[in-house]
Amino acid sequence: MALRLRLRRGGPAGEAAGADVETLERRRLNLVLGLAVGLGLAPVLYLYLLLVLSSFSNTMLTSLPLPGSGVELTLRNWEMLFRGQVAPAAGKIYTTRDIVLIILNTLVVALGVTAVVVAASVMAGYAFSRLRFRWRRGLMEFIILLHAFPGVALIIAVYAVYVWSLGPVRELLGRDSLAAYSVFYTVLARASLEIPMSIWLMKGFFDRIPWEVEWSALIDGASRFTVWRRILLPQVKPGIAALAIFAFLAGWEDLIYVRVFLYPQVKTLATFIEESVAGLETAYLPVVAAAGTLYLIPTIVFFIATQRLLLEAMSGGVKG
Amino acid sequence: MVEVRLEGVSKRFGRVVAVDNVSIVFEDGRFTVLLGPSGSGKSTILYLVAGVYKPSSGRIFFGDRDVTNLPPKERNVGLVFQNYALYPHMTVYENIAFPLRLRGEDEAAIDRKVHEVARLLHIEELLDRRPGQLSGGQQQRVALARALVKEPDVLLLDEPLSNLDALLRLTIRGELKKLQQKLGITAIHVTHDQAEAMSMADKIVVIDRGRVQQEGPPLEVYERPRNLFVATFIGSPPANTLPATVEHRDGYPLIRVAGSLYRPGERHAAKIREAGLDRVVVAFRPEHARLAEHPPEGEDLAFEAEVYLVEPLGRENIVTLEAAGMPVKVVTPPEERPSGRLYVVVPRERVLLFEPETGLSLDHL
Amino acid sequence: MPGRPRPGPAFFFLLPALALILVFYVVPLILSVYIGFTPLRDWNLQRLGELSLDNYRRLYHLVLHDPDLRKVVQTTIVFTSVTLAVNVLGGLVLALAMFFMDEWLSLPYRLLWLLPRMTPVAVYSLLWYYFFLPGREGILNSWLMSLGLIDEPRAWGKDPELLPYSAWAILVLVNGFVGVSFGMIVFYSALKSIPREQVIAARIDGASTLQLARHVLIPQIRWHIVYVTVWQLLSLLTTFAHIFLLVEWGTLDRAWGSNWALYVFNTAFLTQDQGFAAAAATVLVAVGVVLGLLALRLMRFREMMVEPKGEL
Ligand SMILES: Nc1ncnc2c1ncn2[C@@H]1O[C@H](COP(=O)(O)OP(=O)(O)OP(=O)(O)O)[C@@H](O)[C@H]1O
Ligand SMILES: [Mg+2]
Repeated sequence: MALRLRLRRGGPAGEAAGADVETLERRRLNLVLGLAVGLGLAPVLYLYLLLVLSSFSNTMLTSLPLPGSGVELTLRNWEMLFRGQVAPAAGKIYTTRDIVLIILNTLVVALGVTAVVVAASVMAGYAFSRLRFRWRRGLMEFIILLHAFPGVALIIAVYAVYVWSLGPVRELLGRDSLAAYSVFYTVLARASLEIPMSIWLMKGFFDRIPWEVEWSALIDGASRFTVWRRILLPQVKPGIAALAIFAFLAGWEDLIYVRVFLYPQVKTLATFIEESVAGLETAYLPVVAAAGTLYLIPTIVFFIATQRLLLEAMSGGVKG
Repeated sequence: MVEVRLEGVSKRFGRVVAVDNVSIVFEDGRFTVLLGPSGSGKSTILYLVAGVYKPSSGRIFFGDRDVTNLPPKERNVGLVFQNYALYPHMTVYENIAFPLRLRGEDEAAIDRKVHEVARLLHIEELLDRRPGQLSGGQQQRVALARALVKEPDVLLLDEPLSNLDALLRLTIRGELKKLQQKLGITAIHVTHDQAEAMSMADKIVVIDRGRVQQEGPPLEVYERPRNLFVATFIGSPPANTLPATVEHRDGYPLIRVAGSLYRPGERHAAKIREAGLDRVVVAFRPEHARLAEHPPEGEDLAFEAEVYLVEPLGRENIVTLEAAGMPVKVVTPPEERPSGRLYVVVPRERVLLFEPETGLSLDHL
Repeated sequence: MPGRPRPGPAFFFLLPALALILVFYVVPLILSVYIGFTPLRDWNLQRLGELSLDNYRRLYHLVLHDPDLRKVVQTTIVFTSVTLAVNVLGGLVLALAMFFMDEWLSLPYRLLWLLPRMTPVAVYSLLWYYFFLPGREGILNSWLMSLGLIDEPRAWGKDPELLPYSAWAILVLVNGFVGVSFGMIVFYSALKSIPREQVIAARIDGASTLQLARHVLIPQIRWHIVYVTVWQLLSLLTTFAHIFLLVEWGTLDRAWGSNWALYVFNTAFLTQDQGFAAAAATVLVAVGVVLGLLALRLMRFREMMVEPKGEL
C-alpha cells in the first residue's frame, strides 16, 4: 500500500531542527526518556506478544515459551479455528462455527461502513470546502458538534427506529430479507458515527487544493460536478485512502453496533470472540487467541502502512 | 478576437474594496499589461474578466457582448495562473487536451491541436510527463499551451513569469510577446515587475489600491507619469522626489528646492499660478540627472549635494547623495567615481512637477 | 451580495451525509429524550403514547436507595475522574517526553502508544481478560505467585476483600492505556508548533529540561490541555465497550465494575427496560451536548472555516 501523502512533516521547524543548541543534552535525554516511555508500555506490548504466541501453543502462555518450559509450539489452534471447532460443547462434540463466514461477515460490515463513510464524506467535504450555500457555517458547526457528541448515547433511539422500520421492510421485502436488512442497518448506523469526523477531515483535504486548479477547469467549461469528479477527486485520493482505512478499521473493530443490530445468527469476529470467551473453559483459550490474532492482523497492517497519516489525523481531533 | 472593456467596474470583498470603479479598454489584438504593487487588485481584475468573480457594480463587455453575468465557460478566455494550476494527476498531454475534451471534440482533432500547440511552445517531448516532473519554465509553457489550445478570444496571464529565474524570464518575455503577435490575440498580462511591463506592453495600465493610476504606451507612462505614485513605482531606481516651496519674484513663481532656486517653464508657471500653489514636489529620474563640479550655466535644475554612497553595478554606477537632508539617487557612467560636494543637474525638460496634496502631475492638472 | 447562494449543487453533494445525520443523530436525539418519558419495554412500540415522569422518579429513587445503582454511580465518578486525570497528565508527560526525544525515537514510540487505541475492542479486552484471569492461568496471578507475593490465585476484579478498589484500578488501567494516547498526540503536535527559537533561547538562558517544560512549554499549550480535558471527559462518560466485555466475561464485578453508560446499555438491551434506560441516557445526552459545545468553542472552529472563493 503506497500511501505517499503530502503531509506536513513534523512541526514548522521539521526534522531539520535536529542539530541545535538542544543537542547538548540530547543523548542523555534520549536515553532516559526513551527508557521511561518504553518501560511504561512494555507490559502491554508483552501481553500482545503472549496472545500471539499463545495462539501457536498448546496452552495459554504466562511467560515466553523458552526451551525447557514444557510448552509445545503447534499450529493445532489455527487448524481448529478454521475447521470451526472452537470448544467441545458436550463431550467430544464441538460447537462448530464457520470461521470463514464470520470473517466474511466482519468484512462485509467493515467494507460497507467504508463505502458509506467515503461516499458521504467525499461529497459533503467538497461542499463544505468549495461551495457557497445558505447555513454553510452553521451546518458545519453542527457537524463538528456531532463529532464531539457521543453517538452511542443515542443507541436506544437508533434501535427504536430500527424496530419500527422492521415492519415495513418485512412487508416490502419479505421475511427472508430481514437478516440482510440487519446488516444494512448496522452498516449505516455504524458509519454515521464516523461521518462527522470524516466530513471534517475530507474538507481539510479539499481545502489544500488551490482554488486556481478548480477555476481553471471551470473556465475551460467544466461543470461543478465534472470538476469534482475529474479534477478534485483524483487529487484527494490520498485523503480518500486514509479515510477509507479509518472507516474500515472502525467497522472492522466494532462490537457494540454489531452486537445490538445484527441478527444473532450473523456473527462477526468481535461477537464471535465475545461469545467464545463468555462460554468457554480456559483450556480452549488458545483457539480464541488464534481468533484474536487473526482479528488483529488488518489493524496492524494498516497501522504500519499509515503511520504518519494516522498521527496527523489523530491530532486533528479524533475521538479519544 | 475581441476588444475587452470594463466600464465602472468595482469589486468588494466584504469591507475590502479590491477594485474601485475601474474603466479600461483592452484593445483588440494588443498586449496590455496591468502593472501594480502586490495587493493592488490586478488578479482580481483578471478574474473579473475571466468570470471567476462577478463585479459588485459596473459592466464588462467583450466587443458588443455584455458578459457581466456570463459564466466563465461562455466567455472563451484562456487563463494562465500565477501558480500555473496544472492538474497534477494528468499528463501534460491530458492537461492540454482537457479543455477540448470538455467541449466534446473528437479525439483526432484533439490530438492534432495538442500537438500543434505543443510544437508552437516547444514542449512536444514533455507530453507524457506529469506536471510534478517539470521545471518551472516547462510548467509555464504547459499552462500557456492549455490556455491557447482552445483558441481563446482573450488570453489572460497572471504573473506567469514570476516563478522563473531571471534569465529564463528574459527569454520567455520575448517569446511570449512574439507568440501573441503571431496569433494576434487580445492579451492581458498582469505583473508587478515594471521592467517586464515596459518591455512587453503595447499599453500599460498602472493600478494601485484598486484604481487605475495611469494608462498609456510604456514610454509615455515612463516619461510623463500622471502622478507621484506612477513616478515612484516605475523606474529602477525610482524617480527622486523632493518637496519644494514656491517663491514669487516679480509675479513669476520660482521653486526653492534643496536650497537652490529653479525657474520653471512658462507652462508649469502658469499652472502654479492658476492653482495658487505655494508648495510643489519636484521629481526627476536618476538616469536623467548628471553630476557636476560647478553649477551649470543656463536654466537647468541644479542643487548642491554631498556624495553618500557609490554602488558600482558594472554597466553604470548608482550614486546616492544627500541634499538638504534628503536622499537623491543619480545614475552615472561606470568610470566616474564622484565624491565630496557636487552639483546635481537635471535638464529642464526632464523635471517633473507634482501637486503635493493630490500627487497629480502639473502636466495633467 | 451578487450571486445569491444557489441550493442546487450544494444540496446534491450534501444529501447523503445529511440524510444519515438526520436518521442517526437528529431523530434519535429527539426520540431518545422522548422515550425517557414513556414506559417502553421489550421494544413494544405501542407504548410510546403514554407519557409520564415515572422513569425519572424511579431513577431518582434508585440512585438514592438501590445499592447496585449507587455502586454504579460511585464507580462512574471515581472511574471518570481518575482516568481523566491519568489520561490528561499521562498524555502531557508522554508528549513532553516525546518532544525532548529525537524524531527517530519518538515516532515509533508514538505509534506504539497508539496501538491499544487501534486494537479492536474484543482483542484488547481479551488481553486484559487473560491478564486478570482468576485461576492460576491468569498472567497476573502466575507472576505474583512465582514471585511469592501471593499463595493462592485471586479473582482480582471480583474478590469482595479487594472491592471496590481493585475493580476501579482495573477500569482505570484498561482505559488509561487507550485514553492516554489522545492527549499525547494533541499535546505533541501543539508542542511541535511552538517556535523552535524559544526552546533555544531558554536553553541559552540556562533553563533545565524541567524548567523549560514548566515555564516555556506548558503555558503555551494550556488551551490544548483544556480542550483535551473536555474531550476526554466526554468520551470517558460515554465509553463502555471495554467495560461491557470485562463485566460480561466475569473479570469485573457487575455493580462495582459498571459505569453509567454501561448501566444504560444493559438496562436497555439486557433488562429490556428501554423507557427507563432512555431516561438514564438523557443525562448522557445532556452532558454530551454541553461538553460538545464547549469543545467546539475550544477547537477555534471559526478560524478553520474559510469562505469559499469565487462566485461560480
Ligand atoms: N477572495 C477574496 N476575499 C477577500 N479579499 C480578497 C479576495 N481576493 C483578493 N482580496 C483582496 O483584494 C485586494 C486585491 O487582491 P489581488 O489578489 O487582486 O491583488 P494583486 O494585485 O493580484 O496582488 P499580487 O501581486 O500579490 O498577486 C487585496 O487587498 C486582497 O487582500
Ligand atoms: Mg495576484
